[in-house]
Amino acid sequence: MASSIDDLDLKALVAAERRNNRPNWPLAVLALVISAVWIVPFYYMATSIFKTTEEYSQNHPLSLPASWHPVIENAVTAWTNAKMASGLLNSMLYSTVGAGLAVFIAALAAYGLTRFDFRGRNLWFMLIFSGTVFPLQMYLIPLFFTYQGLNLLNTHAGMLIFYTAICIPFPVLVLRNFMNGLSREMDEAARMDGAHELTVFLKIILPNCWGPMTATFLLQFTWIWNDLLFSTVLANKTDVRSIMNALQTFQGSYASTGPNVVMTATIIASLPSLILFFLLRRHFMEGMRISTV
Amino acid sequence: MAVVKLQNLIKVYGSALAVKGVNLDIPEGAFTVFVGPSGCGKTTTLRMIAGLESISHGDLLMDGERVNDLPSRERGVAMVFQSYALYPHKTVRQNLEFSLKLEKLPQAEIDRRIDEAVSVLELQPYLDRKPAALSGGQRQRVAMGRAIVRQPKVFLFDEPLSNLDAKLRNQMRVEIKQLQRRLGVTTVYVTHDQVEAMTMADLIVVMRDGRIEQTGSPIDVFERPANEFVAGFIGTPQMNFIDGSISDDGKAVLPSAGIELQLPEGRFDLPALRQRAVRLGFRPEDIVPDGHGIPIENGQNITAPVTFSEMLGNETLLFGRLGENDFVSRMQRPRLVERDETLNFRIDLDRIHLFDQETGESLRLPRS
Ligand SMILES: Nc1ncnc2c1ncn2[C@@H]1O[C@H](COP(=O)(O)OP(=O)(O)OP(=O)(O)O)[C@@H](O)[C@H]1O
Ligand SMILES: [Mg+2]
Repeated sequence: MASSIDDLDLKALVAAERRNNRPNWPLAVLALVISAVWIVPFYYMATSIFKTTEEYSQNHPLSLPASWHPVIENAVTAWTNAKMASGLLNSMLYSTVGAGLAVFIAALAAYGLTRFDFRGRNLWFMLIFSGTVFPLQMYLIPLFFTYQGLNLLNTHAGMLIFYTAICIPFPVLVLRNFMNGLSREMDEAARMDGAHELTVFLKIILPNCWGPMTATFLLQFTWIWNDLLFSTVLANKTDVRSIMNALQTFQGSYASTGPNVVMTATIIASLPSLILFFLLRRHFMEGMRISTV
Repeated sequence: MAVVKLQNLIKVYGSALAVKGVNLDIPEGAFTVFVGPSGCGKTTTLRMIAGLESISHGDLLMDGERVNDLPSRERGVAMVFQSYALYPHKTVRQNLEFSLKLEKLPQAEIDRRIDEAVSVLELQPYLDRKPAALSGGQRQRVAMGRAIVRQPKVFLFDEPLSNLDAKLRNQMRVEIKQLQRRLGVTTVYVTHDQVEAMTMADLIVVMRDGRIEQTGSPIDVFERPANEFVAGFIGTPQMNFIDGSISDDGKAVLPSAGIELQLPEGRFDLPALRQRAVRLGFRPEDIVPDGHGIPIENGQNITAPVTFSEMLGNETLLFGRLGENDFVSRMQRPRLVERDETLNFRIDLDRIHLFDQETGESLRLPRS
């Protein structure tokens, strides 16, 4: 028995193992085809921005560009025609402040929902959470008329109020679950250490919530950034409209810009949220991890 | 340092009573241990002292002053939690100084206190680490350090050792006890481990079902349990109990065991107990197999079969049968015991306990 390991046919074992790990060719080909189909739109976008309008209209849409420099002219055209600077600034304001405020308020709410024992706190939570259950479009018409009555149409304040409010419920859900997982003994310790409620929240709870807060901030930031519907209806003047709204100038009967310029504008418009994702990716990935000691 | 008085403390959760009227004087500078089975209300009582739980009824006095409505940060108490409850985002140093910064102490004083705690607890190498990078024992020390630096009037501990392995637990037990002696701070310590209770306490408070069953020094609680519950709870293996009655000539008659034991004078008021139904109790160390341990002077010999034995190395636990009753005996300087071997035992009559069968109260005469 003791020498049984020496009697084994090692080569046969190795061969058998290798057979198990052999790639499944039909499956790999299928995956490759699906990926290719998936990538085509990105390829189309990435090549179009390097073409002039003539080049685009004379060749096949998927052909390779002749040189790279038309992208500069495309960008300049897009930037000036759509007044992208003001759109970017407005969107920056809405997304940063709206998402930031929403997440902070959500954190306050989650703190109350997990730390204070009051009657009906589950009811309150359901009430807040019900904000995410209905289709958002439902709010559109009432909101328009209310804003009209309050003179909030076409104002920065009106947009900020709407975006902040609409972005609160989801972070409440995430942060409530996360804070539930944070040891309550930790904030009891802080309270015994002499901390008042606000100190407990700001110095003990918040620093342990950066992960999920960044994650929900990013998600809400992107949602606001990409929102077209509400910004079209509630703020359509040039000086308050968002970047996505600004892109719409390329559409419609008088628009004469070629798809190459539209594609360039689109890419410029999506750069900020891409960059933000890239910068905060580590926090985003760690977002849902709980660490308590 | 402080004297803490609990006067008829009651805690209600919803409609359930968790603490049902606790009266207790916690002596100044002493180490008081709450012990009792799970769910008996130890933690709840401690948290009421800490100010983490509201007091439903009764008074909590500290230094003669009623503190029921004082928030915990103003009570001058510090607590070490079972989960340590360190701040994960702060380094050890920041964990220690958090309370002192909130108190707005001068930096020199903060440094002095931290240095002192750090040297006592040997935390120097870990000051700049986050809690996640510490072992269980080190976290435990930080938690204690956080309590010490505040120089509180009362230390509260809630099962601080239950997350540690056995060896570390023994070591920390000694350290906590020594630290408390050195600092002389009034301490309340909750545990369900009666070894911790016996070894650390100046005063043991045995609780059951929201009430205090007995308060006394460890030796008191062990030697003079006030009732059957305390007798059974304190001591491992637990006390052996056999039902019987007292005969007219002062013997304990135990029909289910088929024996009669001559009870000593002075320990019980035998004439008053005549014909009473009693529960007789004796500890495993008071029923000794022949030739093991110190010979018992005032004893009575019985023979009994051993159905099972548990070797612990320095001693062996013998599980025997007396008629219909099981009993445990502690065998010092053990030898190998065969299964079903019949041994001669000697019961120490001077260490027998009697309890009322109905109420469970001890029938032993009060100390004269
Ligand atoms: N927040 C609460 N809500 C409702 N009931 C509670 C609450 N906390 C404790 N109880 C109940 O009060 C009783 C006493 O609980 P407590 O935590 O004081 O027990 P304990 O003696 O500390 O037990 P253990 O040794 O298991 O820690 C238990 O029956 C428990 O179920
Ligand atoms: Mg407890």
